[in-house]
Amino acid sequence: MTCADIRDELSEFVDGTLPADRAAAIEAHVTACGSCTGVVQDLERIRGAARRLGPIDPPGHLWLEIAGRMQLEGAPRQPDRTTPASRRHPIWQWAGLAAALVLVTVGVYIAQRVSAPRQAPASAVAVGGNAAAPPTVETFQEELQQAEMHYEKAIAALEAITKSSDGTMDPAVAATVQKNLATIDRAIADSRAALNANPDSEAARDSLFEAFRRKVGVLQATVALMNEMRKGDQSGAARIAAGLGRKS
Amino acid sequence: MALAARCRQGAPGAFEELYRTHAPRLFGLACRMVGRAEAEDLLQEIFLTAHRKLDQYKGDASLGTWLFRLGANQCIDFLRSRGARLAQLTESFDETIEPDGRSPSPIVAIDRLDLDRALATLPPGSRAIFVLHDVEGFEHREIASLLGIADGTSKSQLHKARMKLRKALASRN
Repeated sequence: MTCADIRDELSEFVDGTLPADRAAAIEAHVTACGSCTGVVQDLERIRGAARRLGPIDPPGHLWLEIAGRMQLEGAPRQPDRTTPASRRHPIWQWAGLAAALVLVTVGVYIAQRVSAPRQAPASAVAVGGNAAAPPTVETFQEELQQAEMHYEKAIAALEAITKSSDGTMDPAVAATVQKNLATIDRAIADSRAALNANPDSEAARDSLFEAFRRKVGVLQATVALMNEMRKGDQSGAARIAAGLGRKS
Repeated sequence: MALAARCRQGAPGAFEELYRTHAPRLFGLACRMVGRAEAEDLLQEIFLTAHRKLDQYKGDASLGTWLFRLGANQCIDFLRSRGARLAQLTESFDETIEPDGRSPSPIVAIDRLDLDRALATLPPGSRAIFVLHDVEGFEHREIASLLGIADGTSKSQLHKARMKLRKALASRN
């Protein structure tokens, strides 16, 4: 029995899934072969290391985005009873969800624009009969500006909420939020500059909207944190604050 | 009340509890199967799909198992949508076993970060099989069913994935 005879079965040998007689034959070879012993030991180490690869914590803002989209889709099947009329929500919780609505709308809008083939509008004749700039670039630029406006509107609404915190936020957490936002604002400025220099750049456009998305995420998380602190839910607040610390 | 029932009834905090409990493992799966850049969007889709399909959960497996299988299917569908040929792995197996008496084992220790980095270099098909089998503990029969391949293909591709990782990790040491 040579190394080549058994090499394709070494993983099954390591996993213990070979028939007993075949496993015994391979065991006999491996014991006598330094190279095959090395391979077997490496495969065992790789398998062991893989088993120890644990979960990965997702970014803190993801739950808020999921919750916002679930709100849009409606609750799962409800039991047959009326919603208590006495339930009240602070106005700024609804503003946060409204911002999530804007975010989803813009996201869908952008996805549709990005995936649709660019088409020239039906009429593209410039005033005075002069040759117009390529209509597809201009049309796309206008739509891009509208999408930016939607994001900026959502961001402004969320910023207004976060600024009305009445000192409920821990100063250290507030500083982290400001630091995260400053980093993202730099990314927005850089992406805008790149897009201004090259309006056709998909990478710059994607980078700009990714930065907008991240900013909305940070602001949504901040609103949620304020909510938890007002409710007195320390563990909930700590969880969201930890997520903010990892986000930028 | 069971978490699934509370989620279906829209009980406050129920679906968030489901998310907090299972998102880290699912995010790990998504990161390793499709890459970090896409994993955030994919995780959202996994939970939104779970939200929509919760009425289909019959209780024959634990809610976590149902959710994880749904997540694994979403990851595989995502890879397929990106044109990954999961069942057509054409890379030739060029790893050779050195003759007896030559170099000792090249891998001294495997750092988690090194393994995640090496994992990212695998082709999508064999990476998916390695993640499902070695990281998540799926049997070859389950992997074959998920990917639409034969058990034997799953076993051989797992071996190729491990040997490629061995090579990648050895070059780092």
